[in-house]
Amino acid sequence: MLNIRRISTCRWWHKKKNWIFFVIFLFLVFARISKGTFYKDFYYFISKPFWPGQFQKEIVLESIDQEYLIKLNLLKKDNIRLRKILSVQESSNNDNISAAVISRKTGSWWRQIILNKGSRDGVEIGNIVIGPGGLLGRVNNTSLFTSSVSLITSPESKLGVWVDRIQINGLLVGLGDDYPILILYSNDADIKVGDFISSSPASTLLPPNIPIGIVHSIDEKLKSKKTAKISLLAKPHVIDWVQILKVNI
Amino acid sequence: MGPNFESKYLMNKFFTKQSSIISFIFIPIIFLWHPNWLGFLGVQPYWPLFWLLPWSMINGSINGLIFGLFLGLILDSLTLDNTFTQIPGLMFCGFLFGRIKLHSDNLVGHFRYGLICSFGSFLCGTVYYLQILFRNFLDSNSLMFIPSIKNILAEVFLTGFFAPFICSQLLRMFKFSRRKLQ
Repeated sequence: MLNIRRISTCRWWHKKKNWIFFVIFLFLVFARISKGTFYKDFYYFISKPFWPGQFQKEIVLESIDQEYLIKLNLLKKDNIRLRKILSVQESSNNDNISAAVISRKTGSWWRQIILNKGSRDGVEIGNIVIGPGGLLGRVNNTSLFTSSVSLITSPESKLGVWVDRIQINGLLVGLGDDYPILILYSNDADIKVGDFISSSPASTLLPPNIPIGIVHSIDEKLKSKKTAKISLLAKPHVIDWVQILKVNI
Repeated sequence: MGPNFESKYLMNKFFTKQSSIISFIFIPIIFLWHPNWLGFLGVQPYWPLFWLLPWSMINGSINGLIFGLFLGLILDSLTLDNTFTQIPGLMFCGFLFGRIKLHSDNLVGHFRYGLICSFGSFLCGTVYYLQILFRNFLDSNSLMFIPSIKNILAEVFLTGFFAPFICSQLLRMFKFSRRKLQ
């Protein structure tokens, strides 16, 4: 009788510690499934005092030459008008959202940045993020106050791009370093170092004509395709402020 | 003893007792913070190992294994890669670190932390890289080889460099909180 009682009190479910571990485990599984949403929001609040100051944004905005702004607006209007005539897809940029970078992982295995604008501000998964210079990446995950952006240098990133000089479409693939690779499925493509790369008009993920980078070096080893390393125009490791584009492709 | 003194005493007691859990919460924060000035070639030290080593050394292999899993779960939730996970590497490191005994000589201990953390970082990096290789096996994307090796080596160096400073402090803190608990 005594033995039976002793065994029954030693069952694992009678130990409070095991239940605590189980509850922690369930909580962490929830955190994993929700992609750490509440943790990112918590980080949003505690990192708030260290965000790049407002004045920095004002200086950047003031430093933009007025003449270039006017010219740019005229060209945009022209572009929209011509696109309408040619019935080519157009991008709307009325709903741009400015955001500060509050966390960045631009080295190592993970290539992502976290912005201080989330679903509360209207950011949605798939939105395009651009910085000074051009394209940075796409929003991959949002929480209430933050959004996580997968950079184009990330190994998971694959985008359709356009080489303007030779008028050819290619695929830009992230490798996990600072230079993504451009794959052209034609060995005859006359690509040269210094060629300019922008988003492809045929892409279903990006609006057309967003500057991306410049050809840095060409790899001629492969026979069926041509590959080149691309130096990005926008440098994610130094950018503090970005624009989120709510694209209507 | 006034109420102010008593509340201060209780707060101190709470922080001393829960120092290991409080420091655990800070790992994902540092992981997100990713301070550039601490990096080398854009790579950061592998932060979770600094906490996991003293924890496992004090609490044993099973605890190390469990908290390796917890750390892996929370760090995976903060990265955007859905296909690759840090859990196996951290669990294995937690288990392995639990089998290491504390050393009486402090100076030797410091260097041991550096070496052990370097080895752990190499292990975690290799496990992560093997997952990437396995995933991209069909694409035969050998171009990822060089950046990955660079990532592993830089991470191993930085983790080994910072481990003696951070691990010995954390170990002292965990020991202290444990002694107070007993």
